[in-house]
Amino acid sequence: MDAKALLDHQFVVAAYSVTWIIQLGYLVFLGLKWRAQKRAASPNDRESR
Amino acid sequence: MKKAAVSLYVVLTIALMLWGYYQAIYVAPNDAMQGELFRIFYYHVPSASVAFLFFAISLAGSIGFLAFRRSRPAFAQISDAWALSGAEVGVVFCTVVLTTGPLWGRRAWGIWWTWDARLTTTLVLWLIYVSYLLLRRFAAGPQMQTLAAVLGIFGALDVPIVYMSNRWWRTQHPAPVFGGAEGSGMDPSMVGAFLWNMLAWFAWGTLILAIRYSVERQHQKIAAHQAQQALDA
Repeated sequence: MDAKALLDHQFVVAAYSVTWIIQLGYLVFLGLKWRAQKRAASPNDRESR
Repeated sequence: MKKAAVSLYVVLTIALMLWGYYQAIYVAPNDAMQGELFRIFYYHVPSASVAFLFFAISLAGSIGFLAFRRSRPAFAQISDAWALSGAEVGVVFCTVVLTTGPLWGRRAWGIWWTWDARLTTTLVLWLIYVSYLLLRRFAAGPQMQTLAAVLGIFGALDVPIVYMSNRWWRTQHPAPVFGGAEGSGMDPSMVGAFLWNMLAWFAWGTLILAIRYSVERQHQKIAAHQAQQALDA
C-alpha cells in the first residue's frame, strides 16, 4: 500500500469511527436519560397504587 | 408480543448495519478518481438523508403542536414530542455529516472547510436546530413549546435550501450524484453498497427516534403528574 492509499485508508477509518462514536454516544446518553426518567417515575407509580 | 417485535427490529437493524459496513468496505470497489476515500460517501450521504427526514418529522410535529395546542392538547403534546425527537436525532445525524464531510474534504481538497453554499447552509441548519434544543433545555414557561415550534418551522425551511444549494450555486462541494446534471450517477457496482447503507441508516435512525420519542412521552407524563400533584397540594 503506497503512502497516498495508506492516508486515504486512515481517513476512511477516522470517518467511520467518528460516525459510530457519535451514534453510540448518543445511544448511551438516551439510555442514561431513560434510566433517570424511570427512577423519577417510580415514586409516582407507588403513590398512584 | 410488542417486546418480541421490538427485539426482532433491533436484531434486524444490527444485521443491516453489519451488512452495510461489509458492503461499503469489502464489496464496493475503489473509486476510479478518489480511490478508497470514496467509501466515506456510504456513511456521509445516508446520514444527510436521515437528518433531512427527521427535520421534516420535526416540522410536521411543530405544525401539529401549533395547530392543535388549544383544541386538542393531548394530540398537541404527542406532536411536540415528535417535534423534539425529530430535531434532536436530526442534529445527531447532521453532526455526523459535518464531521465526515470535512474528513473527506481534507484529503480530497486539502482543506477541512470552505464557506461554499452547501457547507454553509448545512452548518446554518445545524446551528438552528442546536439553538432549538438549547431553547427546549433552558427556557421555561407555557410559551416555550410554542416558541420552539416556530423556531422548528423556520429551521426546516433551510432543508430545501441545503438540498438545492449545489444545484442553484456553483459550489466546491461535489455536484449531486443522484438527480443531478446529465452524466451524474453512480457506477452500478457501487449502487448496492449505497442502497444497503441507506436502508441500514434509516433503520438505525428510526430505532433511535423511537427511543427518543418514548423518553420524551415519559417525561411529559411525569411533568403532568407533578403539575397535578402541585395543584392538589
